[in-house]
This record gives sequence, structure tokens and C-alpha cells, in this order.
Amino acid sequence: MITVNGEPLDWKPGMTVQDVLDAKRYTFRMIGIWINDRPVPKNEFSTTEVPDGAVVQAIHMVSGG
Amino acid sequence: MEKMKVIAEWTYTPAPIERGYTRKTLYVNVGEPRMEIKDVSQDMIDTFTGGRGFDLKLLWDAVKDTTKWNDPENEIVLSGGPLCGITQYPGAGKCYAAFISPLSGQTYDSNSGGYWGPLSKFSGFDAVEVQGKAEKDIILFINGDEGKIQILESNLKDLNAYAVTETLHEYFAVDEADKRNISVISTGKAAETSYYGCMNMSFYDPRRKVARLKQAGRGGGGSIMRDKKIAAMVVKFSKIGGNLNNVVDLDTLQRVGVKLHKEIHDLDDVQCKMRKVGTAHLNEIMDEYHLLPTNNYKFGQNAAEISKIHSAVYERLFTQGMPDGCWYGCSMSCAKAVDGFTVQTGPCKGEKVTVDGPEYETVAALGSNIGVYDPLWTIEANFYADHYGMDTISLGTAIAFVCECYELGLITKKDTNGLELNFGSKDDIMELIHRMADGKDEFASMVAKGIRYMKKAFAEKFKADAKTMEAIGMEGQGVETSEYVPKESIAQWGGYYLTLKGPQHDEAWLIFMDMVNKQLPTFEDKAEALHYFPNFRTWFSLVGLCKLPWNDVEPANNRIVNEPKEAAKVPEHVQNYVDIFNAVTGKGIRKEDLITMSEKVYNFQRVFQVRMKQGEANHNIPLRALGPVFPDEWEARREYYDGKLREIGIDPSALSTEEKIKKLQEYRLGMWEGLKMAVYKRRGWNKKGIPTVETLKRLGIDYPDVVAVVEKYSKPEDNFD
Amino acid sequence: MRLFLPFCILNLAVETSRFVQTDQGGIILRWLKTYVEKCINCGKCMETCSKTYFKEENPSLSRVVVTNPGAGQNISVCNQCGACMAVCPTEALYRDKNGVVQLDKSKCTSCLMCVGFCPTGNMLYAASKQTEPFKCVACGLCAKVCPTQALVLVND
Repeated sequence: MITVNGEPLDWKPGMTVQDVLDAKRYTFRMIGIWINDRPVPKNEFSTTEVPDGAVVQAIHMVSGG
Repeated sequence: MEKMKVIAEWTYTPAPIERGYTRKTLYVNVGEPRMEIKDVSQDMIDTFTGGRGFDLKLLWDAVKDTTKWNDPENEIVLSGGPLCGITQYPGAGKCYAAFISPLSGQTYDSNSGGYWGPLSKFSGFDAVEVQGKAEKDIILFINGDEGKIQILESNLKDLNAYAVTETLHEYFAVDEADKRNISVISTGKAAETSYYGCMNMSFYDPRRKVARLKQAGRGGGGSIMRDKKIAAMVVKFSKIGGNLNNVVDLDTLQRVGVKLHKEIHDLDDVQCKMRKVGTAHLNEIMDEYHLLPTNNYKFGQNAAEISKIHSAVYERLFTQGMPDGCWYGCSMSCAKAVDGFTVQTGPCKGEKVTVDGPEYETVAALGSNIGVYDPLWTIEANFYADHYGMDTISLGTAIAFVCECYELGLITKKDTNGLELNFGSKDDIMELIHRMADGKDEFASMVAKGIRYMKKAFAEKFKADAKTMEAIGMEGQGVETSEYVPKESIAQWGGYYLTLKGPQHDEAWLIFMDMVNKQLPTFEDKAEALHYFPNFRTWFSLVGLCKLPWNDVEPANNRIVNEPKEAAKVPEHVQNYVDIFNAVTGKGIRKEDLITMSEKVYNFQRVFQVRMKQGEANHNIPLRALGPVFPDEWEARREYYDGKLREIGIDPSALSTEEKIKKLQEYRLGMWEGLKMAVYKRRGWNKKGIPTVETLKRLGIDYPDVVAVVEKYSKPEDNFD
Repeated sequence: MRLFLPFCILNLAVETSRFVQTDQGGIILRWLKTYVEKCINCGKCMETCSKTYFKEENPSLSRVVVTNPGAGQNISVCNQCGACMAVCPTEALYRDKNGVVQLDKSKCTSCLMCVGFCPTGNMLYAASKQTEPFKCVACGLCAKVCPTQALVLVND
């Protein structure tokens, strides 16, 4: 189990940041990811694995309007 | 066109610009007629900065406590601000307009791109005040090249925006190349009956060889123009150069500007795609997050139809590869246009035109929110809204309200004079828009006056149920809500409905931060955001900048070097603003000062609202903005909403949907009150939302007449402990 | 109303071709070709360039930029690709009859978008000298003074 923006999400072995985004249907292009307070560069979303128990913040930047 | 008759003419010597200011404002009374050039004091600069700040200060002095929108003393005040007209930094051509709004009966400020702001300053004026009412249609012409102000008797045959704008660019230019030295403010025929008439501000596009229109759309500025019998306001200035603002430090200005140009060049394609689709990049994203208003904000999503209005569809419709900045130097280039569009209906039927936009708001307002998923129809509606002089947002939200009333049977086909106004009834809705411009159809004229007017009129004339309309009419302070579903973000209730002028989207957009990121868990967190963001964004309006280049692109490392909460503020860009403000004005502000500068004007405007509303400047919120009103809205996200009840300790299993809705409404109304008090307190206001005398003193806006308004309407029992 | 749009503008929108059709029908492109392997880093080209256009010997004002940052010799100069023309809001940047991209200062608003969007970083600016940007106009003076023919003005 991990938490994403404070909400629990089932963890699977090998789960990447991109898998988390897909599971949450976070399709916005301007998302910043922090795993246990450590930032993950956007170009590493598909390769960075999320450890079990991680606290993930998926921060949507404001834009538009 | 034949030469227009000169009704009045004055000459003047354009004041030189030093460090972004001319220190002169122009006053024109189109009724008397009379012209006066006023000095700008140092105190006015220190307190109000410029732009919207200058507008409000001049408007405050011009109106009485009892002034209505259509009284002659109401003004349209236009000002760019000290940074307006610099060419080196993206988004620096904004013009801010302020007036007493026909929708809300209090001040409204609305801003536009196009060249009016810069050209009027280069012509010698930090602000332009227009007061009085003319007897016949007139054109106000400021000729900055010759130092001449003229009031001309209009002989325009067509008062609609594209016709007016194109004719006047032609009329006042000596040749094709001269056309870009002109900016026209126009509205259209619908503004004569509507309360949400828009002001179109033009710039000439030398590649397309057409005049382009940007809008100070909201609040009814166009309605006031027509009430004053102003057909157009025109400014001309020809000697555009790279440092007309006479800035202190051009080197810094250039360096910071080039840095952002490069950033946009490198990153826009992978971030917001503003250069390719403008704000319409948000269409499918908002749908995905249940934020795209659908059928009068009943729903936030329409999975079956969204692909038809996907940003990729608009990307194909917009002409690509053009420099689409609405002022020189805007590499964000989001002023997209559809070229070679063949109009299908109405007086322009069969013509090939260039349509400005649609932007995201219009895609939603004249699209999903009225149940239409047809980009070509939306483009046509966008064209006619601009041409007839109506704000696309108020128009769409007002029609959405009408459609729901129609579907609920609150109004009938007889009431609408034969139109079938279901959601998605494209042909009849387009006919309604044409009738608004025509001005003869009584029902269309009611729709043109906005939701607050319709709620009363439908109840009186058609015996429509007032309580239902109160729940579903998406207005706050008389102004139609812009195009985001705010239901599931408590902070956004404030972002929309605890605003100075009503639910627009230029104060605070906190939905992601609050609802998705969960960064604002407490009332205090939300209140802090509802203090910081509105004030931060107010700053753009004081100096003449556009908000978009602030956070519609961000440095590649923004989310690596900053903490999550700080990253949302885009600290490097905030520093850019500090640097360019200092580079232009020679002042030495720090980033904290941006907020204080804004707070002065923000609180002054709040007192202004209290003054115009005789102490009753109330913040209302419709039930539809707080959550589902009807069972179908609940059922569309049943699992989600049932979960919301469980979160607050209510077991939904034994309740009917109606009962569940009622429970959630009760709870959320309580939250709304809690939010309101937390926000008022954080802003230094009392429980009635009136700034305290201490707040005025802290900000140095304790002018006797301002304090007098506060003291007149504040009661001791309304103070926070 | 004359809202009609000439369709040809869609083709004018992006003009990035390095080749221009001259009035005579021939295709000319004049540009400065570089042979970095011949460069001895003498700095003559930059002196000449800055002196010619800004009346002072100052490498930071030269339109041809020679650097030697440890990793090796580098010569950077405009290749007349025309990407800057596409982003210019006033069409101040244009291609002359020799195929050289020129700046018409009377039309330029000094916005410097061309600087930010130049793919090779060869649109330059210097607030102390002028508000407008500047670039190599393939005059060939630097090539003339280059002792090793590391710079050659060519007409392709």
C-alpha cells in the first residue's frame, strides 16, 4: 500500500510513477512528483519505481484561465 | 468611408514617458463635450501603482454612492500600468478597464490584450477616463502622433465589432503598414440590450491582413459604451520603438525577457502547448477531472462526447505557425485564430472570416455547458458573440441556465417565442443569439440581461419557481460564473464566490491545489491561499501584464528545486516580475512587496463595493456550485458522493437520493460559512466582509473618504474577537 | 465587410527554407561557412566584426562567436535558416535577394523573440548599443581577415 496525495492506493511490485499516474487517471501534463519528499524528474516517470509504503505527492500545477 | 464630422477637437502635447509613467491622465466627457488632462501625483503612484489601481481611484472620484451603471457620471476608465508597452517580456500589452457594472451594480474590472493599452500610454496617458453620454453615436479618437483628441460623429453603417474595427483601421491608417499603429475598442448591437456587453480591443495582424479582436469581455463594459452612445474608441501612435517606456535598466529587461522566450521555445510543446492551441489545451483535461461544466454545471464530464472537442481538434482548426501574440514580444502566442471560416448563419452568412479564439472558456461556455459538442458551431457562436459585443462566458452560462429552465419546464416554448431551448439545441440557440443582437425579441433581451435579471423576470412573467432558479442559476454578485465546476473544491468556492467582483477566474484557481493535490487541508490553509493568490494576481492588473506567462509555462527545474507548495507559485517567474518591475521603474521592490502593492488596491476596491452597495456587498453562492442539486447529478457519480457522506459520518445506505442531496447541502453550506469567516479574517475584514480601519491604516489607504465608508457600515458586533 | 482571407497567407506563415528563388529564377544562398578544424582562435574575425558594426573591438559584440572552452574550438554564426523570420510579429526580419536574413530596424519593436527562438543562438543583443537585436548579414569581412580560411563566404 502507498498513499497518493493522502489517499491509499494498492501497491504492486515494479510499480512506476507512470503506473501510479495511470491508476489515478492523472492525465494533466504539468504534474510534479515527490516520493517521500524527494522530487522525481519528469523524464524518469516511466523508469522510477515507487517503493511499497511510499508517500507520493502528485502535484498538479495551476494553469489556464 | 466618407469623412466623419468633427464634433469637438482639442490639441495637447503628449507627455514624455519616464520609467513607465507619463504622469498624466486623460478625461473626456462625451456628453458636454469636455476634455481635461490631469496630473498623476506621487501618492497616486505609491498607493495605486497603475492599471486597475488608477482606474479605480479615478472612478472612485467620479461617481456618487448612488451612481447606477447607466447614469452619465459612470465612467469607463482604461489603463495599462507602468510595465504596459514594454516589448521585451511576454504578456506586457494588457489594458485594464473599470466601471460600475450593469450586472452587479458595483465596480468591475476587466482586461484585454490588443494594442490599446500600450498605444494610449505612448500617446501620453497613464489612464483614459470616459464620462457622460453623447446624443448621437460618436467615435472618440486619440491621435498620439499629432497630439489631438477628437469626438467624431459616427457614420458607421454597421455597429458590430468586426465591421467597426476593420472600417476604422482602414479609415485612420494612411496605408497598409500604418494599420498596426491603430487600436480600436468596439462592441456591437447586442450590447445595446445586454448587461454583459463586451469591449473588443484590436490589433492589426500584418500576416493575415485582418484586424484581430481581444476582449475585455466580462462585466458589461460594452453595455456602458453603447449607453454612452460610443460606437468606438480609437487610438493611434506610429513610432513604436524598443524603449518607449524609458526604462531604467534595459539590460536587465532584455536578459530576463530573453530567458523567458527561450524557456517558452524549449518547453511549451511539452507543457501547456499554448503556442499551438492556446488555453483550449485544457478541454479534455478539465473533462477528465470532472471540471468541465456540462449542461449548466450539472456534470463535470461527458465521456461520450469529449473527443469531439478535444484540444487536438482545435489544434487542427487553428492556423499553426503564426506569431499570435496580442502585443509585441509575447512569445506565449496564445491568441489563436481560425482562418477562412465560412459563416453559416445570420447577417454574415456565406462570408469567409477570421475568428479569434475560441479559448478554453468559450469552448466550455458556448459548448459543453450548453450541451453542444460541435467545434464549428462553437467557433460561429464565438464569432457572433464578439461581433455583436457579448461576453462569451456570461452568454454561455446564461444560456445554460435558460436551457435547464426549459428542460425543467420552468419556461415553455411559448415564453421563448417559439424556440426549443433544450441543451444541445444548436439551431435554436444560434437563433436566440441573433435575436439578442436584433434587440426586438423580448425573451432574447431578458436572456441578454443575465441570470440575476432572468431569475426575477422568469418568476414574475412566467411564474417560474424562484427557489429552483436560485439553486441552479450560476451567478455570484450578479455575474455569471466562468467555466470550471467548483463543486468539489471548497477553496474554489472562495476562488469564485468570495471575490471582489463575482465568479470570474482571474483571482484564484485553487481546484487542483485543494481538490486533487490535497495541499489545503484546513480552513486556514484555504484562507491563506485565498489571500495570497488573489493578491498576487491583482499585481498583474496594476502593472499591465498578462497572467498567462506566469504559470502556463514553468522553468524545467521548477518542480525539482522547489517544495511542492512553493512550486505552484513558480518562484523563478515571481523573481522575474520583481526584476522587470525594478528595471522599468527604478524602484527596489522585493517579492513580498508585490502582495502589499496589491493589497492596497484589493482592499480599496472592496471598500468601493461596500460603498456602491450601501453596506450590502454580500457574497452569495448558488447551491449548484456547492454540490448536486438534482438526483441525476448525484447518480452520475454515486459512489463518489456516497463516499463524501461517509466521510462526514453519514451512512448513505438508508437514504433516498433526495435525502442524500439535502444532507450534503446542509453540510456544505456550513463549510461555506466557515470558509467565508476564515477568509474575511485573513484578509483583515470584519464578519460582514468590510475591511477594518486597522487594515486600511496598515496598507496606507486610510483616506478620509475611504475610512468614512468603512465606519458608516461597520458595526461593533461584526468585529472578529 | 472585408473579412475575406487570402489563402496564400497560410503558406507564408512559416518560411524556414534556406533557399530562395531570386527574380532571375536562380537559387542563391549567401552564408558564412565555417571550418572549425582550421581555426587557430586568433580572434581577428570578432575584432573585425565588432569594429565594423559597433566601432569598437569587443568580442561580445561580434556576430561571429569563436570560443575555446576546454573541450575544443567552436565557431558559432548564423546559417541564414530563417527560423527567426517566422516568429517576428512585424515581419521586420526578411530574406534579401542574396538569401541573407536581414533586419529592417524601422519595423523592429526590439521584442527579442527572435533571440529566444534562434535554433543556433546566433541572434544577439546588447542593450548598451541598441535596443534591436543583431545578427550576421554575411558581409564576409571576417572571412577576408581570417588567416586560415576557417571562415569562408559562400554563395550556394
